[in-house]
Amino acid sequence: MTQFVPVLLNALTLISILMLVALGLAVIFGLMNIINLAHGEFVTIGAYTLALTQAMGGNYWLALAVAPFVGAALGLTVEWTMVRHLYRRPLAVILATWGLGMVLQQGLQIIFGAAPQRVAGPLSGAVEIFGAPYPAYRLLLIGFAIAIVLACYAGFRWTRFGLDLRAVIQDRDMAAALGIDTGRVYSLAFALGAAIAAVAGVLIAPLTVVIAQMGINYLARSFFVVIVGGVGGIGGVAAGSAVVGGTESLLNYQVPVTVSQALVLVLAIVIVRFRPRGLVPL
Amino acid sequence: MTDQAPALPATKAVSGARAAKWLLVALGVIFLVAYPAWNDAYSVASLRDVLIFGLFALSLDYFWGKTGILSFGHATFFGLGAYGMGVISIKLGLDPANASLLGLLGGILLAMLVALVVGYFLIFGGVRGAYLTIVTLALTLIAQHIAIGWSDVTGGDSGLIGVPPLTVAGFVFFDPVHQYLLVLAVALTILGGLWWICRGRYGRILAAIEDNELKARTLGHNTPLHLLVVFVASAGIAALAGALYVTGTGFVAPDMIGLMLSTEVIMWVAVGGRGTLIGPFIGAFVVWRLQQEISSLDTRLWPLFIGLFFIAMVFLFPNGVLSLVERAKELSRRWRGAA
Repeated sequence: MTQFVPVLLNALTLISILMLVALGLAVIFGLMNIINLAHGEFVTIGAYTLALTQAMGGNYWLALAVAPFVGAALGLTVEWTMVRHLYRRPLAVILATWGLGMVLQQGLQIIFGAAPQRVAGPLSGAVEIFGAPYPAYRLLLIGFAIAIVLACYAGFRWTRFGLDLRAVIQDRDMAAALGIDTGRVYSLAFALGAAIAAVAGVLIAPLTVVIAQMGINYLARSFFVVIVGGVGGIGGVAAGSAVVGGTESLLNYQVPVTVSQALVLVLAIVIVRFRPRGLVPL
Repeated sequence: MTDQAPALPATKAVSGARAAKWLLVALGVIFLVAYPAWNDAYSVASLRDVLIFGLFALSLDYFWGKTGILSFGHATFFGLGAYGMGVISIKLGLDPANASLLGLLGGILLAMLVALVVGYFLIFGGVRGAYLTIVTLALTLIAQHIAIGWSDVTGGDSGLIGVPPLTVAGFVFFDPVHQYLLVLAVALTILGGLWWICRGRYGRILAAIEDNELKARTLGHNTPLHLLVVFVASAGIAALAGALYVTGTGFVAPDMIGLMLSTEVIMWVAVGGRGTLIGPFIGAFVVWRLQQEISSLDTRLWPLFIGLFFIAMVFLFPNGVLSLVERAKELSRRWRGAA
């Protein structure tokens, strides 16, 4: 029994990370039908927010509070200057956001240097769960991920903005005819997605190497999450994260990391063949 | 071109323009064939690499330009060709007289097989447009991971050195001039072949699929099959370019399969003009020159430049840099008309 607990918790950690990163992506991609290839860099900027805050003497919790504002400001700027002019040209959005991602990556590297950033988590040590010690910070991460996903679900389901968003997703023109300011809904949704990505970046940072190129690893896997899970909102993100993260972390015990990622790609492609709209279609 | 244009009256102006075009093509070919006569080995080897990159860009243009679906992972196929060539010719201990040719064929088959499997599942699964772009992006990332991680076979970060030059029927393509002429012949053959294939009815079927796949399907075309064939053929050409590149440089490295190359090839096609087939070669040449200039200032500036280029492309010249010339002409005409 005790040897299965860390296996399970490791899977849960990866699933939580994927859920956090894919949630912001799903808001933008699944709901607005916009592929934001700079999403990985939004995560990176969250991680750098933590590094910068701690370098200036602040603590982890301050960075966690600041990150959503940094992310939202970045998201709003990107939406205003680039994305809103391209809503009718999906391929153009891919190319433009990819370019933006490269500019952000290289900009961060030129400003901060190529060496990994120093970050520290708020908790050290381990907690004993069913007789097996497990790092406390990872448990915190899992808790935060669940809380954020539930908060998004609630906001999506029960707030005025959530209602407007759902209306715009279902029929943009009809929503506009009913008096919903669709442009405003889109910019807020984009800002929200970027804010969640930045928070994810802060939460992930203590577990990984914080460098300018870190975002790309999360980008590809979270697209799998969205593709496998489907664009059915929060349920799709949860299902996709469970499949992608669960498979990858369980395979990691049997085969090298590269092989397990390749196998997850194969799994994703096979799932797409038989359920092109994902496990939880809209 | 005649069977594509709606029965134009064959005026003297039209046939004159066509003759001028063919003259230009002939002059270009003569220039390229004669190029080694007055250039040193380094320049010839550089132009050889540019032609290979142009061939690689052509393979992407055949898929992206003719079907409208962007593959963000085309370096996967270039790299599979390169690694197939390297691994088969170095690691298997084959007879050196045949090893390189088997490597070339093996690399191409490997890439086409991967394209066939991935393409079958995705294209027949109804995955199109942006989704396909994302999956190919993931494909190239994972290919890069495997190339770096599976070091027993691929040599890991440092790659494989000692790839033998191509040997066909006892003739060794060792001299840069011979390699250059071989690459030129292959590139011209494939360019001419694709142009010839795409010019008639087949090209119009692809155009119809790009325009509206559902309508093309309703008219009785097996559109997933067409797309799959184009995808696999495109992967094969990309792999051919990769394998040829390796026989010239003598080594395989992970940057031949990764995300950066996948990005750069999109840029080559975009610069030269998507869907033009000849454009990718021009694009590869222009960008290669530009990269040398910019990287000589600071190597970190190059990715920054690519990023800015992608953003500028979307807003300023969605149809390629060459369309800027057209637009400038039009503006100047309008300006003169107003004055």
